[in-house]
Amino acid sequence: MALSEKNKRRPEKYAAVAAGAVAAAGSIGRTAYTQGSDKIKVGLLGCGGRGNGALGHCLQADPGVEVIALADLFENQVRRTRDTFAKNEKFKGRVNINDDHLFWGFDCHEKLARCEADLLLMATAPAFRGRQMLAAVKAGKHIFTEKPIATDPVGCRQVIEASKIAEQKGLAIVAGTQRRHEFSRVELMKRIHDGAIGKLVGGQCYWYGGGIWYRGYVQGMSELEWQCYNWYHFAWLSGDQICEQHIHNIDVMNWCFNGPPRKFTAVGGRGCRDYSKQAKEVCSKLNNGSEAGWEKYNGDIWDHIFAEFEYPNGARALSFSGHGPGTGRSGEKIVGTKGTSDCNSRISGENPWQYEGQSVNGQLQEHIDLIKSIRDGKPLNEGQQVADSTLTAIGGRIAAYTGRSFNWSWLLNASKLELVPKQENLRPGPGIFGPIATGRDQLT
Amino acid sequence: MMKTRNLTRRELLKSSAMAAGTLALTGVTVPFSQARGSDTIRVGVVGCGGRGSEAARDCVKSSPGVEIVALADAFGDRLDGLKKEFKVRSDRCFVGLDAYKEMMAPDDINLVILGTPPGFRPRQFAEAIDRGKNVFMEKPVAVCPAGIKMVIEASEKAAEKKLAVVAGTQRRHQPAYIETMKRIHDGAIGEIVSAQCYWNQGGLWVNKRQPNQSDVEWQLRNWLYFTWLSGDHIVEQHVHNIDVINWAFNALPESVQGLGGRQYRTGPEYGNIYDHFGVEFFYPNDVRTISMCRQIESATDNVSERVVGTKGVSDCCGIIEGENPWRYEGPNPNPYVQEHADLIKSIRDGSPLNEGQRIAESTLCAIMGRESAYSRQQFKRSWFTSRCTLSLLPPEGLTLSDSKPVDPVAVPGVYELPGLVQEEAGRKKRRA
Repeated sequence: MALSEKNKRRPEKYAAVAAGAVAAAGSIGRTAYTQGSDKIKVGLLGCGGRGNGALGHCLQADPGVEVIALADLFENQVRRTRDTFAKNEKFKGRVNINDDHLFWGFDCHEKLARCEADLLLMATAPAFRGRQMLAAVKAGKHIFTEKPIATDPVGCRQVIEASKIAEQKGLAIVAGTQRRHEFSRVELMKRIHDGAIGKLVGGQCYWYGGGIWYRGYVQGMSELEWQCYNWYHFAWLSGDQICEQHIHNIDVMNWCFNGPPRKFTAVGGRGCRDYSKQAKEVCSKLNNGSEAGWEKYNGDIWDHIFAEFEYPNGARALSFSGHGPGTGRSGEKIVGTKGTSDCNSRISGENPWQYEGQSVNGQLQEHIDLIKSIRDGKPLNEGQQVADSTLTAIGGRIAAYTGRSFNWSWLLNASKLELVPKQENLRPGPGIFGPIATGRDQLT
Repeated sequence: MMKTRNLTRRELLKSSAMAAGTLALTGVTVPFSQARGSDTIRVGVVGCGGRGSEAARDCVKSSPGVEIVALADAFGDRLDGLKKEFKVRSDRCFVGLDAYKEMMAPDDINLVILGTPPGFRPRQFAEAIDRGKNVFMEKPVAVCPAGIKMVIEASEKAAEKKLAVVAGTQRRHQPAYIETMKRIHDGAIGEIVSAQCYWNQGGLWVNKRQPNQSDVEWQLRNWLYFTWLSGDHIVEQHVHNIDVINWAFNALPESVQGLGGRQYRTGPEYGNIYDHFGVEFFYPNDVRTISMCRQIESATDNVSERVVGTKGVSDCCGIIEGENPWRYEGPNPNPYVQEHADLIKSIRDGSPLNEGQRIAESTLCAIMGRESAYSRQQFKRSWFTSRCTLSLLPPEGLTLSDSKPVDPVAVPGVYELPGLVQEEAGRKKRRA
């Protein structure tokens, strides 16, 4: 865009321009980063395992990164994360979080957006990302967001909107689909896009593996808080496994095809995902010792989805995902008229090729690329791209849950599916439980 | 007239060689089972339900000189319709689970139609070949690897005896498919690099259990919903589409990995089968294909196949797009009749069709998909055919009054794929 073009030539002016724009827009947030050797002040939203991981990588990515604020639904998570990072010798002097920069509660993202951070890392359950990103870009923050970025089409639209605002304001958005930052894949995709395997006519992507954690009840939590703590198991919070995890591979497919599919068809179900023992315990603790109605604490996500994505050029690709016993699989394959590729480092066929360059940790590299883009005044913006891939995964899920096929434009523009409660309705209290999808749910 | 019932295999070989020799010499004196020219084809029908009855009518319709002369069914009430329709003599109507044996005994029957639930097919087919009958058998032809083995052995025997075997995968007899496949095999779409096939539809009939019905009677009358009888719907229905993909590749998948479950259709009247499968078949050269099937009411329907080559795409039944675009514009005879016409012509011409091996292989692929979905294990076809010990053949001496509890629905992790040793599973996991 024009702003970044201008900025390329006269970087010193850029920050001031951006700052002016933000000020004019009435934002109370600080601006986008000012350049040079300045520090980049970082706030972390979501202090669980992934958030801690992302913060560590962000600190490693650039010596100028300083952590100044933490936010999470739970106070103890925030305090524990501060302790962990404050104690880490590696990051000495770069973890400076005052007590008044520790935020918790369902509105913690709003408080965090009001602090003076330049960059917010977002790693809460994906359900809330849309409103979090909107608040952040309105406050002039750069964003690193974990994938996926929503659990329903409404959430995806919020992120697309946030992404547009970021573009106008010259803010960076980088997403935790780290394969996009792995050198081997970047080099490989250039070749695929340049025609090394011919016209793309098919593809497959997989993430089928063992199960995941189930978090028991913690004293003091309301039902809704426990549900958010155990978020993976509820489709409105995680988007189901196809969205939460398999999005990585789906994103690679979309990358190959340079965009999302045009049509979705899928089957799936829940045949063996069973946490009944833990669910009964949780039920008992939340309901004065009664196990009646424990099933809802078992979660509502499925354990397998087999989806077909038809891309705009007519190619049909398989998406194969789930959790359970049996043979695990993860990865991708793309098929063209002149060859195939593992979507990672190798091309077979008429133009064989093997990546032999440096291999990098994508989860670190994505932060390096993000911060460099901020420092260079050429902010990366992956908002639309990760929204597309999230919506692709959500489309696979909806097709499986409903048994119905539909197209991308319906999903993007017309689907009214909204799983996440409005912000004003989120407070400690009863959980939000729906029935497990039947395979022919109503198409919304 | 050739009596084959009590012949050893060696004698059998001899006698069919003799028969072939006679045929070559005179062109007239042929074993009765190979009725030629205008000879009447006398048909016995085993399994007189919906499919068996339709097949009987189509068989009669297909060619002159075809008579339905004998019937067998587990249930008398299922047999009555055909009996009346074709005025079959009462002493040629046999009722009961073993009725097929009596029905096949007379030598004047030279073609049998096998239309019972597929779980019974291997034994009935083997019996028919032993008795020297030509066979039309509905698909699928087995529900387990043990049954597949029986069918393949019987097919080989049929070849030795010059008996015709045609299967109810009627797409193989549909000119639009045949002409398209010729072109695909001649390279019209280049090398095949991707393929998909689907049988996504609503539900089928269901018979709820009636008071006083034994386990076996109810399961037989509601056979679609029990794996030991139908093979599950991936085998019972989707075998059609899988067969087309095998045809297009002219090869069988080398390995399989599937998912599936029972999410919507969960009532006890639906027995123990799944309501959806999604299976990936790996054909030679690591060409991966999608197989998807679903029986869920008012979901999106799609019953079709599609193959993708380096030079084009085809729907397998009349349309080729790409570098060599082509459209089938010839006649479209009813394929359910055509398959019988082809069968009977082949008998009369003395060059019997034998589709036994081929339909056994396509059925096998569908069974592989089911077992992979039930267990969530990826495995190779070579493993499945040589080391999987699964047998769902009906118990010897089964009677209609037997109690036979419904097998549990396969739950991945609980369901055991017979013969799969744990270390093998571990090795595959590491490789994947």
